[in-house]
Amino acid sequence: MTSSYRQVNKGSPNVWLLDILKESIAKSDISYDESTIVAKFSKSGLCVACKGSKFLCGKTRCPIIVKANYFLKSIPLMQSEDIVGASPPSVFVGRIGYPYVYAGPLVPPVQEDTTIYDLPELWFGKTIDEIVGFRSMLIRGKHRVHVQKFEEAGKIIEKTRELALAVNSVDVELLLKSKPRGSIVLDDEIQPFGPSAPIRDLRVGNARWDHHIEKAYGDTDLKAAEAVLEIYNRGVFVTKIQRAFSIGAFGLEKNRRLVPTRWSITAVDSILSKDLMEKVKTSPEINEYRVYESRYIDNIFEVLMIPGTWSYEAMEAWYPGTVWNPQGRNIVMFSDWEGYNGRTTYAEIGGCYYAARLAVCEKLVKERRQATVIVLREAHPGYIMPVGVWQVRENVRNAMRQKPSNFNTMDEALKFIASRFQIPLQQWITKSELLKNALFQKKITDFLMKRGSLA
Amino acid sequence: MFKLKVSDAKLLRDMTTAISILVDEATFKIDPHSIKLRAMDPSRVAMVDFEWSKTVFEEYICTESTKMCINISELLKLLKRAGKDEVVELSLDEKTGRLQVKITGKYTRNFTMPTLEASEEEVPTPKLTFNVRAKATTGGLSQAIEDAQLVSDHVRIEADAEKIVFNATGDLMGATISLQKGSDTLLDLEAKESSKATFSLSYLSEIIKAAAATSDIATIEFSTDMPIKLDFQQAKEGKLMFYLAPRIETE
Repeated sequence: MTSSYRQVNKGSPNVWLLDILKESIAKSDISYDESTIVAKFSKSGLCVACKGSKFLCGKTRCPIIVKANYFLKSIPLMQSEDIVGASPPSVFVGRIGYPYVYAGPLVPPVQEDTTIYDLPELWFGKTIDEIVGFRSMLIRGKHRVHVQKFEEAGKIIEKTRELALAVNSVDVELLLKSKPRGSIVLDDEIQPFGPSAPIRDLRVGNARWDHHIEKAYGDTDLKAAEAVLEIYNRGVFVTKIQRAFSIGAFGLEKNRRLVPTRWSITAVDSILSKDLMEKVKTSPEINEYRVYESRYIDNIFEVLMIPGTWSYEAMEAWYPGTVWNPQGRNIVMFSDWEGYNGRTTYAEIGGCYYAARLAVCEKLVKERRQATVIVLREAHPGYIMPVGVWQVRENVRNAMRQKPSNFNTMDEALKFIASRFQIPLQQWITKSELLKNALFQKKITDFLMKRGSLA
Repeated sequence: MFKLKVSDAKLLRDMTTAISILVDEATFKIDPHSIKLRAMDPSRVAMVDFEWSKTVFEEYICTESTKMCINISELLKLLKRAGKDEVVELSLDEKTGRLQVKITGKYTRNFTMPTLEASEEEVPTPKLTFNVRAKATTGGLSQAIEDAQLVSDHVRIEADAEKIVFNATGDLMGATISLQKGSDTLLDLEAKESSKATFSLSYLSEIIKAAAATSDIATIEFSTDMPIKLDFQQAKEGKLMFYLAPRIETE
């Protein structure tokens, strides 16, 4: 979801935003052309009253000011139609207008190793500011193409794919039809990036491809899902697989297509965790109640593992003032779950459901154990803007790397979770299908024990 | 040696479907008189108890008692290839440990599938005393469950001497479905004392829907906060019963 903004015209009641920008520009001594500044602002009336000074929305910092700051830093990027730099590599495939989408590379005007700019696997521990900082340097080149006819789309898409499959950053000359413009897009599923413009021409330096990905690319009889699994099992980062997936590098020849970036992220998380789940289901159940924890950019995860057969639930609670609950007075909770046999519909809470599922399955498969897993997330007001689904994947992966707190009973485990969270336990239980199940659903074996045995 | 022949493929397919609701890998006990299965689902919330006497089959040969474990969903895939009046023969090749599935109709198909390591677990039946015993049509039960599913994931079943009531309460909506004794749906009802218990609707609906294909009338038995037993009356000599553990909400 892109936050809702609209353009500020001079004389509109929201001139204050432009004023803030101008003020900051004067301070930071940047020369700029007034016509290139497009300020977009939240529709919320609160912002007008607050103007970034009173934190009326409840966040700990004003996201508009934070965004404005990075927007200003990217102004120098908007001065030229020709971008020369090293792409991490990175590509973006939009979803608007599907099946006619905008695809193209993301290139920062930086000529050094930029690998980290598009490798969330290495981002855990960085602040929101650091991440938005380097992401806002990425200029997006856009080329309109039909997702299934990308092979006929010519050189630009061919070159984009060439760089997408590269193992390290690639030197790129991105020639645009106009000076790039736009604000930083902040999205819950995709990593933020900077200004954009249509591509005039694209030149790509020598790119060395990841050979596992190259092999799958060359195999036009290998199904996409199988390719994804194969490459993952060879130890390639999820981000790299997802990048190749989005640029149509996998699958049977006739089925190959471009996949919008945000869809490809969830597709890969889903394909991988589905496969891992089958392995989990053949492993012995854990013997104790475990709670894993991770805290990062004001997102708190408590992962509860219950002895039992595989089933999975992801729940998130948004404090008033956080990204998806800006106006609310109450905490908003979302939940989605699946039983032993999995699910056939898309989880309502979206990509994070699948990202967290991958992280917990990785852990269980590594340990060769089975459990009922409930991922609980509290998003606090310091999480001022969405940074992408990777945050969930890496935060839960981090939780899985920690030593869990072990308990003998469900009661003790829940008491521990209650002590780590601010939201009362009862609220979690009321909303959680699997917690209720674990607490209330009896087993046939409970009734076998009662008779004929000492218990 | 073990071999059986069913002249109506649908019968075998429907029974296999009903078993597949709970178990994926099923260990059948086979003796010269019958084929049996008693198993719990992976989360041990429900149990299936199945038996077909040799008289169900057109041909049934079992020379010595044995166990056979097969992947039910794989078998089901093969059985789905058989038309209504086609003949199905299952035979176990003891040397290779493979099960042969022969479907004969307009033409002949021979499939083979592996057998798996038989489970050693002996599953006893729960010894329960029930206070309520009701006989109902499976069609009527299916409908009542579907109604309740509109508003919630679980249902409280209450019974007294006169009626059975299904009560479902969701976040926003509620539903009460009453079956009166002697109605077209509720054929018979005996209640030693008023009883109520809550059950998962997803289990109930899957069980009843699948079992309804094999049976028109079910006997349900339960007591307050105890498992429910659903006995689906079979046309031929055999049984298909399910037990489902209750939900008990406590603070």
